[in-house]
Amino acid sequence: MQIEEFTDFTDACFNGESASCSCACPFKLDVRSFTEKCQKGRWSSAWKNYRNAVIFPEIVSALCPAPCREHCQRASLGGAVDIPALERAAIEYSGAKKAEHYNIPPKEHSVAVVGAGPAGLSAALNLAQKRYKVTVFDKAPGWGGSLRSHADFARFDEDIALQFAAVEAEFRFNTEISSPSQLSSYDAVYIATGEGGIDFEGEKFFRGGQLTGMSLMEGIAVGAEVSKLVETYLMTGRAGPVENVSYAFCDRTVEHEDTLPEAEIEVRDEESARAEAARCMKCDCDSCMRSCEVLAHFRKKPRSMAREAFSDSQANPPIATQSLVRETYSCTNCGHCRSVCPEKVDVGAMLMLSRANRFEKGTAPAAFHDYWLREMDFSCGEASAFLPPPGSDACKYAFFPGCRLGMDNVGHLKKAYDCLTRSCDGGVGLMLGCCGAPALWAGDMSRLENNFSAIREAWERMGSPTLVFACATCSNMFEEYLPEIKRISLYELMEKASLPRSSSSYPAAVVFDPCSAREDDAMRRSVRALAAQAGSKLKEAEHGCRCCGYGGHIQVPNPSLFEKISSSRAEENAEPYIVYCANCREVFLSRGKECSHILDLYFGPGEDTPTLQKKRENALRLKKELLKEIWNMDFTPESRPWDGVELIIPPEIQASMEKSLISADDIRETLWRAEQSGDKLTGGGYSLASLRKNAATYWVQYSGEGGVYQVAAAYSHRMKWRE
Amino acid sequence: MDNIEWKCNKCDKPLKPRSTVFEYMGRSFSHEVLVCPGCGKVFIPQSLAEGRMAEVEEALEDK
Repeated sequence: MQIEEFTDFTDACFNGESASCSCACPFKLDVRSFTEKCQKGRWSSAWKNYRNAVIFPEIVSALCPAPCREHCQRASLGGAVDIPALERAAIEYSGAKKAEHYNIPPKEHSVAVVGAGPAGLSAALNLAQKRYKVTVFDKAPGWGGSLRSHADFARFDEDIALQFAAVEAEFRFNTEISSPSQLSSYDAVYIATGEGGIDFEGEKFFRGGQLTGMSLMEGIAVGAEVSKLVETYLMTGRAGPVENVSYAFCDRTVEHEDTLPEAEIEVRDEESARAEAARCMKCDCDSCMRSCEVLAHFRKKPRSMAREAFSDSQANPPIATQSLVRETYSCTNCGHCRSVCPEKVDVGAMLMLSRANRFEKGTAPAAFHDYWLREMDFSCGEASAFLPPPGSDACKYAFFPGCRLGMDNVGHLKKAYDCLTRSCDGGVGLMLGCCGAPALWAGDMSRLENNFSAIREAWERMGSPTLVFACATCSNMFEEYLPEIKRISLYELMEKASLPRSSSSYPAAVVFDPCSAREDDAMRRSVRALAAQAGSKLKEAEHGCRCCGYGGHIQVPNPSLFEKISSSRAEENAEPYIVYCANCREVFLSRGKECSHILDLYFGPGEDTPTLQKKRENALRLKKELLKEIWNMDFTPESRPWDGVELIIPPEIQASMEKSLISADDIRETLWRAEQSGDKLTGGGYSLASLRKNAATYWVQYSGEGGVYQVAAAYSHRMKWRE
Repeated sequence: MDNIEWKCNKCDKPLKPRSTVFEYMGRSFSHEVLVCPGCGKVFIPQSLAEGRMAEVEEALEDK
C-alpha cells in the first residue's frame, strides 16, 4: 500500500499546527509556546523565543500592529490576550540579552544588501548568521532607513546593534547605489530600498520589503526566507522571487468546550504579565482526541496514527513488528471523530482500511472477529431467507430487519412484518440476512462483497423493492455498498400506520440514537414521533449518536475499553433509554440500565437478552415460523450429531461464557466429540474435554452421562500447542 | 480444577510436566505444562488459559 492511502484520511487534521494568532502573525511567532514561557515566568526563554521569530524585538514590539489580537480566540471569551504587553514584558523581565551566535564555518560567497532599513537589516543579519560575506549599502549616514526619524530610534538603534553584535557584516553608509555595475563583484544582491526605491533587473538580484509592497513588519519577517532563497541561488544558480508572508488559516478556530470567559488583565508588573499569559488558551484542535474514548485511551494523534497504520501495512511479522494493532481493533467505527472534526477527518475509516489490509495480508489476529464472522455466516446462510410476498414474484417493499432484532425477539419481528404487510400497498417481501457489518469490521472485504452480491441478486429477483430497515447500521451499509436500493425505515412506516401503543412506555425517557443513525434524520425523527405517541416525555441525550460500545466489535480485542464505553454511555443520562438498535439494547441491559426498544412500546415488553445460543435458536425459529405462517413452507434447521447433548450450565458459568463469546453449541460439540472418541482427561469425578475450532481451543469440565451433563467450567484460549 | 489430579482417559496414565511448544501469531515458544506421557494429550488449566496465556496472547497480537 502507499502511504497516501492512509495519510489522505488525516491530511486535513491540523492538530499541532499553528494557532490562529500565530497564523495571523507576520513572524509566525509560536504564541502557544511564548505565552507558556511567560506564564511560567521563564522570561529569558520567552525573550529568546520572541527574538528568534521577530529578529528585532524592540522594533517589532513597538511597531507591530498586532494582528494576533484580532485573531485571538479569547476575544469572545473575555477579551483577546494582550500579546504586545507580553512581548514588552519579555523584553523588560528577561536578564542579560545576547545576540545569536552560530558556530559554523565562513562561506566564500559575498552578498550585497542595498538598503539598511528594517527589511535590509533583517536579511543581512540572517545571511551574516549563515556566515556569508555580507555588505550593507545605504545612502544615509547610518542604519534604520525609515525608522531613523522615529521618536524611539535610539532604542531601535541599540536593538540593531545588539543583534549584529555576534556576526560579521560590513556597513557602507553614505554610499548611494545607482547602477548594478557597482555591485558586479557580489555573487548575489538583496534590494530593500523602500517604497519607490531604486531597483535592478537580473538573476542575482532579489528584492523585498516596502519596495515590493510589503509592510514594515513583513519586510522584517521575510528576512529568513530571503537568506534561504539567496543560499539556494548561490548553490544551484536559480531561485524564485521573495514571496510575501502568507496568512493562511488565520481564521481557523478550534472548539473551546466548557471554557469560561476570563477578562483581560492589565499588565503592570511581572505578576500581572504571568496572569495575562495564563489566559492564553493554547488553542489547538483536539476535538476528536478529547471526546473519543478510543483516541483518548491510546493518546494517539490522527496523523501519527495514519503513518503508523501505513508502517504496519509494510511490516512482515514475525520478522518485523506492527505498532498499531490494539488501536486499530479498538475503534468502534462510530463516525464520532468525523462528526466533531472541523475538517471532517475520519480516523475510523482509516482504521477500517487498515483492518482490511491486515485481513488481506493475513496479519489480523483471527480470534478478534472469528466469532462474529461465524455469526454472519450463520445469518447469511442457514438463518437467511429472501422471499417475495406469497403468490407474487415481485413486491414494492421488502423488509430487511437485520440479523440481531429477530435473534432478540421473534414475536416483535413478526409483529413488525405484519404491521408492514397491512400498511404497505404492493406487497412486502422478506429479506432475512446480514448486512455484512461484521465483515467490514473484521476487514474481510471479499466476504462483504460476496454477501452484497447475493443480496443484490435476490433484490433484483424480487422486482427491486424499496427496502425497509429496522437497523440503522444495515441502512448505512446499504447506502454505502448498494446505493441504488431505495431505503426507508420501519419506524417511518410504523409512524404512518397509527398503531395502538402498549402499556410499557416510560413517562419520561431519553431516546438513545445509535451511532449509525447520525446521518439518518428521517429515522431519528420517526423514532421520536413513535416514542412521543407512545406517551413518553422525551429528553434529548447529553451527547447524541454516540456508540454504545458494540460498534466495530471491540469486545474481544479490547474488553476493558468496551466496558468503559458501554458503562459511560449507560450512565450519561439518568432517564431510561428508548433505543432502536438491538445491540444498544443488549449493551445497556447488560449494564443494568433501564431500557426498551421502540418496538417494545408498541408490541409489548421486551424479553431479557437471550444467550448466544438462544439467539441462534431464535433466528431459526423466526425463519421457521414466518415461512410456515406466511408462505406455508416447511423449514427444518440443519441437525448436528451433538444436538441431543443436554447441558446444565450454572448462571455464573453462563455469564462468563457470554463474555468470552463461547456458545453452548461450541461446548456441546467439544463434549460430544470427547465422549465419542474417549479423548479426554478425567479426575475428581469430572471429565475435561478440549476442541480446537477455528481461532480458539475450547475446554469444558463436566460431569454426568447419558446425554445430560453438568458443566463445571468452560473456557477457551487462542494459542495452540504443537501436536 | 487446579487441585484435581487429571489422568488421560485413553492411556489411563497420570499427567507429567513436559516442555511443550506453543504457537500463536506466527511465533512459537516452549512452556512446561502437564501432558499425558502416553499419547501427549495436553492439559491447560483455566487459570493458565485466562491468566498468563491470555497475557502472552495479547502481547503477541500487539507485535
